[in-house]
Amino acid sequence: MVILNKKLRNIWFAFLCLMLSLSFGFAESKSPKIDTNAKIKAVFLYNFTKYIEWPSDYKNGNFVVGILGNSSSLYKELTIMSKTKKVASQDFEIRVYTSPDEISDKVHMLYIPDESSSKFTSAVKKLKGKSTLIVTETPGLSVKGSGINFVVVENRQKFELNKSNVEGHNLKVSKSLEDLALVVK
Amino acid sequence: MKKLFYILVFLLTANMPELLAQDKLSNAVYALQNGELVKAQELIDAAIEDPLFKNDSRTWYYRGNIYKELYKANESENKQSPLRNIAVVSFKMSYELDNGGEVSTSTKKNLKYLASTIFNDAATSFDTENYLLAIDNYAIYKNIIQYIEPQTNFTEKDIQFKLALATTYTQLSLKDSLNKEVYLDNVKKLYEEVLELDENNISANYNLGILYYNKGADIVNNMDYSLDLAELNRIQEELYIIFKKSLPYMKRAYDLNPKKEETLIGLQGIYLSMNDKEKSEAYKQELEKLKGKTNK
Repeated sequence: MVILNKKLRNIWFAFLCLMLSLSFGFAESKSPKIDTNAKIKAVFLYNFTKYIEWPSDYKNGNFVVGILGNSSSLYKELTIMSKTKKVASQDFEIRVYTSPDEISDKVHMLYIPDESSSKFTSAVKKLKGKSTLIVTETPGLSVKGSGINFVVVENRQKFELNKSNVEGHNLKVSKSLEDLALVVK
Repeated sequence: MKKLFYILVFLLTANMPELLAQDKLSNAVYALQNGELVKAQELIDAAIEDPLFKNDSRTWYYRGNIYKELYKANESENKQSPLRNIAVVSFKMSYELDNGGEVSTSTKKNLKYLASTIFNDAATSFDTENYLLAIDNYAIYKNIIQYIEPQTNFTEKDIQFKLALATTYTQLSLKDSLNKEVYLDNVKKLYEEVLELDENNISANYNLGILYYNKGADIVNNMDYSLDLAELNRIQEELYIIFKKSLPYMKRAYDLNPKKEETLIGLQGIYLSMNDKEKSEAYKQELEKLKGKTNK
């Protein structure tokens, strides 16, 4: 009746225990490496180029978008965008300035992140008389000289448009953009 | 004298089938003990056809043992081994016929052993090529264990199985963009099933949080820069709903283990995507603090 002797049985059960030690393996996903806000802002910025008209002397050469201070996510997004998009026949050129003093050539659009808002006043002064659209993301700056100011309304990214600030830089704003913006007079 | 001869002939003839069958069974066991597995297989397969022995638990017990040895000798690498299946069927038959008799304990141990090999074959099949085999083998494993130990609680193993399957479906979603949504839907269901079994399962909570977060991130990633502003506003509404769904799972994962870096990274990203900079910054600082402690 007995097929396996006691010694063999012990070996067998040791083997059995070893076999049962295996288990199902699973992995945990990593958080996505994307700043969703930076991409959304890049889409907004590209759209602004469609709804705002720059004077004729700004319609040749590269279309320069400057970022004042450190905003690596937005810089990355705009750089990706610059590889596939154009403004009419103008190629995008993305520049980073650490200070408004570094701005010398034509800049079509200057983005001032919240972290650099302390430099806002000097940037406005520096760009006086130039056809630069100043874009900010700090509450209150649209009444202090910013043309477009990003704001968060009920957790959604919106933008305030101060038409007179934009027009003060010799830029024309389309009615469609006004319709989509939170207008600041 | 002649009469005695007829009586002997009658007795021998009457018992011949039983003696022959007994011979097959004994010889099969003898062949098994001598390692003559093919011969043992032929003899035992003949024995189970005999009406006198096919209802004997020992016949099926030996058949189970012979096929088990055949499986070990010839098909131990085959995750769908037919020999092992026959061994399982035979031991089950023996267990049923024996009904707690002399071979029941040994039969049960053999079934457990075979079940363990099937379980291990399931565990080592979790990849994008063989996962269906893993599903089948795990079902067979459970079926065997439930048969011999009906009170077995599979909750912990089921959780591990579902987490492993969810990982495989996630990998498939990355490989097969055409069916990505179908796979991700399966992933979601599996994590939800895990949470039904154990609402405090950190992996399921974390991964479900990441699943929604990834869904939102994917939408953003695929947005064209020239998307018009009205459409962008509509997408922002959609994104907010998705990120909001992600939040309770990630928060639960955080509550269960506040020291896990990936959860803090997730919460930081989700809040940032929901345009809640303050909360995002708070988790960022917590992460930096944790990293500082970890590096010390």
